[in-house]
Amino acid sequence: MNPLLITTTQAVDPVFLFIFWICLVLLIGITATMVFFVIRYHRSRAPQPTSQADGNLWLEIIWTALPAVLVLAMFYYGWSGYLSLRDVPKDAMPVTATARMWSWSFTYANGKTSPKLYVPVGKPIRVELVSQDVLHGFYIPAFRVKRDVVPGMKNYAWFVATRAGSYDLFCSQYCGVGHSKMITTVEAIPPAEFSVWLDQGGSGAGGKKLLEKYGCLGCHSLDGTTKVGPSLKGVWGRKEIVVTNGAERSITEGEPYLRQSILDPKADVVKGFPPIMPAFAGTITQEEIAVIIDFFRSDAASASKPDGEQLAKEKGCLACHSLDGTRGVGPTFKGLAGSRVTVLKDGVTRTVTADDAYLRESIRMPAAEVVEGFQPIMPTFPELQDDQVAALVEFIKGHK
Amino acid sequence: MTPIVRPVTVPSFWNDTGKSGVAAWIFSTDHKRIGLLYLYSVLAFFLVGMTLGGLLRIELMAPGRTIVGPQTYNALFTVHGVVMIFLFIIPAFPGAFGNMVMPIQIGARDVAFPRLNLLSWWLYVLGATIIIVSLFTGDGPPDTGWTFYLPFSERTGTNVSLAVFGVFIVGFSSILTGINFVTTIHQLRAEGMSWGRLPLFVWSLYATAWVQILATPILGITLVLIIAERLLGTGLFDPGRGGDPLMYQHLFWIYSHPAVYIMILPAMGAITEIIPVFSRKPIFGYKMIAFSSIAIASAGSLVWGHHMFTSGMSDRAILIFSFLTFVVAIPSAIKVFNWVSTLYKGSISLEAPMLFALSFILLFSIGGLTGLILGAAATNIHVHDTHFVVGHFHYVMFGGAGFAFFGAMHYWLPKFYGRRYAEKPALAAWVLMFIGFNITYFSMMLLGVKGMPRRYYDYLPEFAPLNLVSTVGSWILISGVILLLINLFRGLWKGEPIGNNPWGGATLEWTIPSPPPTENFDADPVVTHGPYDFRKTGMP
Repeated sequence: MNPLLITTTQAVDPVFLFIFWICLVLLIGITATMVFFVIRYHRSRAPQPTSQADGNLWLEIIWTALPAVLVLAMFYYGWSGYLSLRDVPKDAMPVTATARMWSWSFTYANGKTSPKLYVPVGKPIRVELVSQDVLHGFYIPAFRVKRDVVPGMKNYAWFVATRAGSYDLFCSQYCGVGHSKMITTVEAIPPAEFSVWLDQGGSGAGGKKLLEKYGCLGCHSLDGTTKVGPSLKGVWGRKEIVVTNGAERSITEGEPYLRQSILDPKADVVKGFPPIMPAFAGTITQEEIAVIIDFFRSDAASASKPDGEQLAKEKGCLACHSLDGTRGVGPTFKGLAGSRVTVLKDGVTRTVTADDAYLRESIRMPAAEVVEGFQPIMPTFPELQDDQVAALVEFIKGHK
Repeated sequence: MTPIVRPVTVPSFWNDTGKSGVAAWIFSTDHKRIGLLYLYSVLAFFLVGMTLGGLLRIELMAPGRTIVGPQTYNALFTVHGVVMIFLFIIPAFPGAFGNMVMPIQIGARDVAFPRLNLLSWWLYVLGATIIIVSLFTGDGPPDTGWTFYLPFSERTGTNVSLAVFGVFIVGFSSILTGINFVTTIHQLRAEGMSWGRLPLFVWSLYATAWVQILATPILGITLVLIIAERLLGTGLFDPGRGGDPLMYQHLFWIYSHPAVYIMILPAMGAITEIIPVFSRKPIFGYKMIAFSSIAIASAGSLVWGHHMFTSGMSDRAILIFSFLTFVVAIPSAIKVFNWVSTLYKGSISLEAPMLFALSFILLFSIGGLTGLILGAAATNIHVHDTHFVVGHFHYVMFGGAGFAFFGAMHYWLPKFYGRRYAEKPALAAWVLMFIGFNITYFSMMLLGVKGMPRRYYDYLPEFAPLNLVSTVGSWILISGVILLLINLFRGLWKGEPIGNNPWGGATLEWTIPSPPPTENFDADPVVTHGPYDFRKTGMP
């Protein structure tokens, strides 16, 4: 089957119906025959058996051969459908799904991450499956795709959403206490809307790629060091003194200035740097400039404070810690900050105040001091930056 | 669970040696007493498992928390699985009816190794005790699912190691029973009891025994490796240290898929005894049924990979395992067609054993046919690890092996107690169980097709109606089971006495008194006709 002409749903459903109808006919046949015999030859009607037949070679051959043919047909049909599930269309868009206890995170080619799997309608999606801890299962019932997410193993799945909508995405492989909370959705949106979404707030790998493509990074660093040209770190909104036609003036770097500096760099050169950058007018497209400027803008945004609520959702905190006071796998966040909690530390029970330091430590080293009555099962989050931990603490403190 | 010695006046294995009291039972080497010890042990664990299952259904009655939290729920389904599989259904048929009935059916006075037989029961009790202890010690009952998949079962803080060690011990009980039965069937058949005259229940136990001997050691090794992972940190299944989580799954299913046949083959054997007797007709296709038992046991040992179609195993492996899975369907189909044909032109009596046997055919067929959807690679991907699988294997394990076990209890226990149950309450219990069963588990299969994963503590609102239906079904089912057990044991205790042959069977157990004497036969029997030749039994 040509995978370009078929969706994963179309690969599975006909096989399902094929087997289902054969099974239904067989089941009705067996049951009806059995019920008929039981009624017809019930002892009240047939006080004595009227036959002592104990076998028939031809019948045995028929009912060995017939099921053999049927099951081989099912096998073949099932196998060919399965091949379509494995054969990813060449134009598929790659997305990496990262599973951890107990949340999903989806990373796009431009570096953008999202707790929901946003996809453009009509575009095949190839999902690379990565587990950070135990086995998980990537399962979208609507598209009939499922594949285990195995630590240390490269697994993949593909699907295409042919209609806009929100589809459930489950963890299908048991992974512990938060297993049934490890649910998110596939959000299939029109392609135009999707590309807008993808460009927003991405970490800017696309922009970075363009900077590499045009050789910008040879002279402009991203980490603040000064090379031949000014560093691009924190360039958005930076105050600079530029030299325009020999005269100095002060500007704030923003879209007009950055755009002009790419297309015609010699017009305004930052003071102290030689006017040697080549002009990119005619080489670079307007769209690419927009992506680069977005990158500068988001680079600026990411330098600002991280969003605690967003993090709590993305990292799966809320799968175990409720916000409304209900008892989940872990203690609720509501009223947690500042409260007195009884914790178990090195086998000794003591009471502490859940102050900022305690909350920080509980995020950094969850097993150190576990609140009494809860399992020591919270995973560690080594990838969190200090400012992100601080944002989470602020978020928790916001739920009185 | 110690069976109470009943006041039976006729000399029988209950009293003819003059030995009674607890010690005379738990140290007895008589196959009938050991069989009854197994019966009461497995029934006790069945009741435990059923209670846990009932609690699971109540928790799932509505979304969100109903009676327990997620950690308790995970422990409940883990312990439900471990108890039902390792402590009820695997030992149930070989341990209870295999022990009680098989030696008599082949005309022997006992099994080949009576002391080994007693050791098997003791190992079972020891292993079961360790499993029970693991629930109440350490950091809580295991929460891994009965499959103990790594790396999760290495990481969880719950008491997995001790529970796994208990299952390891129980495995030895199963291996010893297998060795004992193979030897007994080869060596202790009475004069004239050729392989072609062997009752088909014995054939099925023979096939099962080989699976027990060959497959169980692999489970033992696998379980030791889990303990090594947890206690020694060997990293055999940890990809960070060169291990492979999929290798664990292979090892686990190399045993645990054939284990399905340990559960279902003797159940098929039991209903193969019941159907001809209640139809007063020889079994149709004796050789094909005997052959299909062996075929299922052999081919069934090669299909374990169909539990792993979504695991990341290679496509080539999926091709092979899917093909072999469909091959196993053929001998199962042969059995069903032969059972139904046995009814043709018979004289059918619908007493309780027969009702359970006939409903076995229907429920097992549903379980087997839904297995085809799981065996086909494409459809497996959608329904694997959903409630469809839960429904499917309960149709096979409970609708199949469980219903056959209840049928066998009604069929054979009167022989060993000398008294029988009342028919009408037994019919009522069967009706309740049959209806409740289908409501409970068919709803689960529908949930699975709609996409509800298994082992889910909580679920989305779209799954709520069918979950409620399933839970209500479980109440009907459980009330049927309770009625069945009360009526059955009440009847065995003070029911109507029966003669040697209440059902008109033609196998050897119906030629001796009910209950049988300790030595079974006054003189060694000489077999002159087949096991289903009712014209020779002198019955009307």
